[in-house]
Amino acid sequence: MEQLVILLVSLPLLAGIVNQLFSRSLGYGSAKLSVYAAVVTFVVALLLLAQMFSSDHTAQVALNDNWGILLADPLSSLMAVLITGISLIVRIYSVRYMIEESGYGRFFMLLDLMTASLLLMVASGDLITLVVAWHLVGVVLYFLLGFDTKSPVASRYALWTLVTYRIGDMALVLAAVLLYHAFGTWSLNEIFAEITANPGQHHYFGMAVEEAVGLLLALAAFARSAQLFLHTWLPYTMDGPSPVSALMHAGIVNAGGFLINRFAPVFVQTESVMHLLFVMGLVTAIIGSVLMLTQNDIKKALGYSTMGQMGFMIMECGVGAFSLAIYHLIAHGLFKGTLFLSAGSVINEARQHDGVPKQDLYTFIVERRTAKRRQPWLVMAGITLAVPIVILFMAHWLVAQDFFQKQGAIVLLFFGWITGAQLLFNTYRMDVQNVWRLVGMIIFSFALVILGYVLISHAFDVFLYPDSAFRSEIYAAAHIDVFWFDVLVVLTTAIIVAGWVLTYYSEQKRLVGGEQLNRLWLSFYALVSREFYLTDLYAWLSRALLKASARLNVLLRWR
Amino acid sequence: MSEILLIVAGLFLPLFPLSMVFTGLFNHLGNQNLRTVLLLVWPQIGLFIVSALGVEIPGWIIVWALLTAILYGFRALVLREVGLWISFIATSLWAVLWLVIGVNEASWSELMWFGLGFSVPFVLLLMLGGELESRFGAAYTGLYNGLAQALPRLSWLIVIVVLAIIATPLFPSFSALMTAMLNIADDSFILALMLAVAWFIWGWAGARLIQGLLIGEESNIAVVDVTAGKAWIYAAILGVLVYVGVCMTGGLA
Repeated sequence: MEQLVILLVSLPLLAGIVNQLFSRSLGYGSAKLSVYAAVVTFVVALLLLAQMFSSDHTAQVALNDNWGILLADPLSSLMAVLITGISLIVRIYSVRYMIEESGYGRFFMLLDLMTASLLLMVASGDLITLVVAWHLVGVVLYFLLGFDTKSPVASRYALWTLVTYRIGDMALVLAAVLLYHAFGTWSLNEIFAEITANPGQHHYFGMAVEEAVGLLLALAAFARSAQLFLHTWLPYTMDGPSPVSALMHAGIVNAGGFLINRFAPVFVQTESVMHLLFVMGLVTAIIGSVLMLTQNDIKKALGYSTMGQMGFMIMECGVGAFSLAIYHLIAHGLFKGTLFLSAGSVINEARQHDGVPKQDLYTFIVERRTAKRRQPWLVMAGITLAVPIVILFMAHWLVAQDFFQKQGAIVLLFFGWITGAQLLFNTYRMDVQNVWRLVGMIIFSFALVILGYVLISHAFDVFLYPDSAFRSEIYAAAHIDVFWFDVLVVLTTAIIVAGWVLTYYSEQKRLVGGEQLNRLWLSFYALVSREFYLTDLYAWLSRALLKASARLNVLLRWR
Repeated sequence: MSEILLIVAGLFLPLFPLSMVFTGLFNHLGNQNLRTVLLLVWPQIGLFIVSALGVEIPGWIIVWALLTAILYGFRALVLREVGLWISFIATSLWAVLWLVIGVNEASWSELMWFGLGFSVPFVLLLMLGGELESRFGAAYTGLYNGLAQALPRLSWLIVIVVLAIIATPLFPSFSALMTAMLNIADDSFILALMLAVAWFIWGWAGARLIQGLLIGEESNIAVVDVTAGKAWIYAAILGVLVYVGVCMTGGLA
């Protein structure tokens, strides 16, 4: 196992070095070299994961006394399969996609280095290696995003990414130093063992070290996973090559979820950090989704979609569903990678002919044509509200009966219920020949998705956190006072139901004060279309800083 | 007495406004060799004085050094002339050496490696700036774009050298940064945050320099790239720097 984890990191690194040193003599062969290396690395990752399934022990190998510790554990092996799998697909795709670009060999070299950095990051067993790998991912991404050196726009947004990532890097470095000071070691396993044995023993300026470190790690995760206020780089980095977008959205941006899982023993000892994760994740998920809906550029819409998904992933961590966040990031990585790699074909197809099928779904959603004859409202409302919740409860009850005692599970069930109800509610107005057949199909699909989701996430839970007591501790760390929890659930339900009622009445044009609401709605749309002016604010701030720097230089006579 | 000598050392491990002596002298010197000597020797004198004194660095000097590091990093953001950029960022980085010395009474033989780890990449950038001057008449960002396409070897070297300067992991400057962070984080979170901000600004300044030189449509000036042999020499020096950086990172404690 030790040899496998060394091979895992060194193979892409070696491929990258060879690609750089012999790029001229290799020519187009650099792509071949990169793909072969990726295939072997993927096989190594699979072998590592298989070993993890067959034996219940983890292993670590230290390349140096102080740092260079590589971990082979369930989390690193699972992430390694995801990273190597996606980077293999991206490489194969790039072989033809990038063929006409200058710097063909450089592109594959950078992909190799990115894979090596990502694998080093997930396999890091000590704080220094983690900081090094974490930082290198940002640096290599900067060069990948600015691959087209003729394009100042691509370069500008690559710089945005680098600057945002540096904010996260700063937080991670500070967290690493605090942990070292408290526990006197860089080794993650030793630190976690000490934290688990003696929680709350060390303090930093009156705050428990776990709390301070948890906050810093959360900030690092927010920057890497494009959470609100640190998200502006994500939708704007579309001038980079499509394979890079695919790799970034499928793999790199997920690093926040990984980091939180890696430091799970720290987060379970925190008091307020999990709530911060929940709130930030929730707000990001909502804002990201709202911004996605207003985009007319497919790649930018995908960018904001990623932001929303990352918000959901962080929110899952905030409710204590750590392993679910890993499952989410894998699922999201796979589908978002596919979307990016096929975005070019879709755009090309749309340019040839609109290709939009005149189906029921299209006429309902895009043309907003609703059914003239509808089923009894009460029956449909009953189905809408009852069916999703029954399916969700049944699925979770089948898998883990104590699930409902966890607040985090209730929150996720709640969101699942809302989503299911929303879907069913819409079919009520859809113009289809056989509405009952459609409802039946939706319920069947919903049950299948939920059951699959619950089963897989439970499997992830057991695989990543085999200790059931620790699993309960994670949920307990996300726990809030029952009274306030109930208040929040009732409040959220009331807002959502009010939204449904508002929609219903506005569509019936029976709304009192409809004109004012319409104006309010247009103002909101204008705000959203300007992306809440955050991008403008950051651009203005950046210009102001540069102006201040220039003035200072003049004042000090360039000395 | 020791405090006066520490302030004298502030000329060489630059503290604002004493730092203006170095920036003024460096930019006044036209000779490349003299500039190289200055970059290599200047911080060593400061390190020698401080280690010879063998006293604990007072807190007020640490704060002063951090403010200097941030000030010069911030001022370097808009600089377009490579020589001026080197002098400002060198001032910013060398100020951090006060934090590396920290509370430990380290000997000069130990400290000199940190100083060299900071200085050697600046010397390399100075030489690369010389390559630009010999081709275009000036080493200046925004004057000629698209070096990445016109001079790929030189561009690669500039990129790696700038990364070495801005404390990218695996280079000695990063180990120095981590050492400084370890020395101060226990005493004050604010100071650690200030150091992190300085690191952030170096990254920003470095990226702006790279972009100003390498990005954009290729200029229509016929120039020849650095020879493969020369590029290998630079690469070998950078390789040694990485090796030293890795060794220094291994010694972090």
